[in-house]
Amino acid sequence: MNRVISRAMLAVLCVLTLASAMSAQVGSYAITNAKIVTVSGSVIEKGTVVIRNGLIESVGAGVKVPADAKVLDGEGMTVYPGLIDARSTLGIPQTPPRPQGGPSAQNQQDESISKYPEGLRPEVTAASKIKAGEAQFASQRNAGFTTVLTIEDDGIFNGQSALINLAGESAAEMIVRPSWAQHVSFRTLRGGNFPTSLMGTFAALRQMFLDARRHAKILDMYEKDPKGMKRPDRDISLEALIPLLKGDQPVVFTANTEREIVRALDLAKEFGLKAYISGGQESWKLAGRLKEENVPVLLSLDFPKRTLSEHKEAEPEPLDTLRLRAEVPKNPARLKQAGVKFAFHTGELKNMREFFANAREAVANGLSEADAIRAMTLSAAEIFGVEKQTGSIEAGKIANLVVVKGDLFDEKASVSHVFVDGREFEQPKRPERPAGNAAGNTSGAPANVAGTWNLTIEPPGQTIGATLVVTQQGGMITGSLSSPLFPSTPLRDGRVTANGFGFTVTVDVGGTALDVVFDGRVTGNEVEGTVDTPQGPAVFRGTRTPR
Amino acid sequence: MKRNWKSLLTGIALAAMLAAGVFAQNGTDVLIRNATVLTAAKGTLENTDILITNGKIARIGKNLRAPNAKVIDATGKFVTPGLIDCHSHAMLDSINEGSYAVTSMVRTSDVLDTTDVTIYRALAGGVTAANLLHGSANPIGGLNTVVKFKYGRPMAEFVFPGAPPGIKFALGENVKRANSNVQPGQSRRYPATRMGTMEVIRDAFIRAKDYKRKWDDFKSGKTKIEPRRDLELEPLVEVLEGKRLVHAHGYRSDEHLNLMLIADEFGFKVATLQHGLEAYKIAPEIAQRGTGVSIFVDYWGYKLEAYDTIPYNAYILWKNGVVVSLNSDSGERIRRLNLDAAKTMKYGGVPEEEALKMVTLNPAKQLGVDKRTGSIEVGKDADIVVWSGHPFSPYSHAETTMVDGEVFFDRKQDLARREQLKAERERLEKLDANLPPGKRGKKEAKEDDKEEKPEATPVPTKGGNRK
Repeated sequence: MNRVISRAMLAVLCVLTLASAMSAQVGSYAITNAKIVTVSGSVIEKGTVVIRNGLIESVGAGVKVPADAKVLDGEGMTVYPGLIDARSTLGIPQTPPRPQGGPSAQNQQDESISKYPEGLRPEVTAASKIKAGEAQFASQRNAGFTTVLTIEDDGIFNGQSALINLAGESAAEMIVRPSWAQHVSFRTLRGGNFPTSLMGTFAALRQMFLDARRHAKILDMYEKDPKGMKRPDRDISLEALIPLLKGDQPVVFTANTEREIVRALDLAKEFGLKAYISGGQESWKLAGRLKEENVPVLLSLDFPKRTLSEHKEAEPEPLDTLRLRAEVPKNPARLKQAGVKFAFHTGELKNMREFFANAREAVANGLSEADAIRAMTLSAAEIFGVEKQTGSIEAGKIANLVVVKGDLFDEKASVSHVFVDGREFEQPKRPERPAGNAAGNTSGAPANVAGTWNLTIEPPGQTIGATLVVTQQGGMITGSLSSPLFPSTPLRDGRVTANGFGFTVTVDVGGTALDVVFDGRVTGNEVEGTVDTPQGPAVFRGTRTPR
Repeated sequence: MKRNWKSLLTGIALAAMLAAGVFAQNGTDVLIRNATVLTAAKGTLENTDILITNGKIARIGKNLRAPNAKVIDATGKFVTPGLIDCHSHAMLDSINEGSYAVTSMVRTSDVLDTTDVTIYRALAGGVTAANLLHGSANPIGGLNTVVKFKYGRPMAEFVFPGAPPGIKFALGENVKRANSNVQPGQSRRYPATRMGTMEVIRDAFIRAKDYKRKWDDFKSGKTKIEPRRDLELEPLVEVLEGKRLVHAHGYRSDEHLNLMLIADEFGFKVATLQHGLEAYKIAPEIAQRGTGVSIFVDYWGYKLEAYDTIPYNAYILWKNGVVVSLNSDSGERIRRLNLDAAKTMKYGGVPEEEALKMVTLNPAKQLGVDKRTGSIEVGKDADIVVWSGHPFSPYSHAETTMVDGEVFFDRKQDLARREQLKAERERLEKLDANLPPGKRGKKEAKEDDKEEKPEATPVPTKGGNRK
């Protein structure tokens, strides 16, 4: 059994390590003898897709293979449109969390001319932050995603999202649609600045929309007849809200509970905003209103699951919580039945396997496979207004395709090829033998990360020392993490990654078992990386004790 | 398995019957028969029937006939108006916006949580309406929401129709941050003294008057460019115009008196002094202004400024002609307001009906909703509680609580539903998503292990493998 697991781990590892070394070429291709799920039309049981210059040249049962095309035999394969993740943070470098209660945003070095604090700046665009680079997209692309809507998940106004393809030499090349929508989260600002409460968040939003409405009026007045009128001050933040008030740019509200969704819809109504919901965990409860007000949902497939470990003396979980976990997988089918438009996104899921497992759960709970596929492809494209370019397999559309051995809904299926803008990303073959190697290489062999590491973990406002003992077996690591704050805890899911290592530990905090996920980059005997906790992210760094 | 199915079906049928019984009465008539009715307005009526039509009290009398009405036999039981809590933070997802000293721009109505179980527990204590207030962190806090506890209904149905809007003010230790630490990197918020608190309030009203003038000038055509709408000052203009009720948290009588003097200066009336632990010291001054007081009946000594109260506070205020209500300010105490009222009979000897008014008609008056609720009179909303015995006895409990003639709490049905909820819990706890991380998907994982893992597959695997 161990052998099976380690082989599986190895396989995953190889996907990761080879990701950056994979060749990506644009050329002409013909995928022949494959089952083709076009999504826009009927399924072609055995047919050919021809790709040229980044576009789908032709598709059908009787399509001729061009002489210059590289032929991929699609026998036993299924071709789907490239999958779209309808809400992601991919491609945007994470800003390190600011310490709690630290100096306010205005006191820090701030290059913006906005008079609003960070977090209330709708003018910020994801497009301006995107960093190109293939490796960061590897795990998602290898799972079949070719396109994501990306936006930093920070602040009340998150900024304007960009739809990007997961390949390209530059950010400019990757962008399919810049500034699709403004994203809003009902959260507070850090550092003790207004708003520090949810009530305050709504007051801040309402005041800014009112101010933007007035600002637009004054700008209009000045535009029409500037003579005798004092030139109005420009305000980049308020001016970024004007397209929202005019209905020209949609507003995506992150809202999961019924009441969050009601608040979003009410606010949208108050200011005439074109609303979308992201997350939408309880959206079935408002399906009628969502349908009536024509509000699409970017539905997270991050289904809630119990995170508490078993403890005899623990209080039982609230019935509402138990019910919610049972109901959420039924949500997609219910939205479909109510006629609400929706597309899937990965939410907080780190592991793409869970995305597909949860998609299967949605199907087991009444959603048709075809509708599930649609929610990952054409429906998303329609929501983002790019359905003429992508989202289905049609001649003339962008060659975003995923080729799967078997069927996407088969648990044993595997992705064999992904095409992004016609560039081929072939899944790597299993390497012959693993070998210990220096970290950071891309030769496909796992790095050597074994040893004793002295770590400092830095959640906002504090520093925690910890000792990490790592034993390595190929691509797998085992060992323990100990600290003055918690006893020695065994590592779970320990693995060597493309440039370091990752593992999970379950820490007992006041009777609640919290999963904490470490992801580190190793350079020689140095490591630095991120810690993902239910309380929020932190960073960690450390050094290896020489043996 | 077969038996499980059967019990499940029985459960569903039972649930449907219960639901029909409890919740589907809208539009149907209800006849409460043969009760001792404490009207909170017109004395106590023995062996009396109450007919409820379309959510309103249609008739009160003896031997009423209503062939189509659902009958509640209240023989040997007591009926009161639904209790009203004039100071609650139930249903609020956030309570304080503590960043500024003046936060009249924030609204409790933006953060209502209709799923808060406090609502149901309050109903079980006979409470049918409440004044949901912003916290006491600021001299001028956020806007309140008056709600009826229609548990299980959409948010919009909670808001008390036609209730005048209000705002929270606060004085004393909380406002000057006497008991809170300054966050690192932040400076102490102004005001830090009681003197400063009054300055902040006076300053806000001066700004509000200026703001009103700007709009008046624009409306009369004196200025061309529309002034900025200021969500902070708008509610204060409404206070000046007498359109918004001020509910002012405070403990010390000197501060409450100072606030009333500021109100005199700006020409408005403070609607209620909240807590008013020392209000008995200034009872005539309060009565003279027609200001109400909403107090804890016997709760004090938990901080320095909370020492100087007495359980005779309610009695002295009442004796001076002040409209007094007893509030909970707590999700726990909200369930026992009937006993709080009883205590005013012990301390000073408030008459029974006056004591009951302190948790029914008086808070209704203070919130400006006494035309709709607060007493059992023909034409009022059928916000009604049937008690097993006299509501002032600690051995009595609310048996049925109605809001607008609909039953939102019924003790018998609650007890009957517990078995069913237990069964539901047992069923739900077995679901994969509800199992602890280590135990999830055990079965599937074993099946997987028998077979070769597919090569390089980021796509599949069961959710069960998440450990």
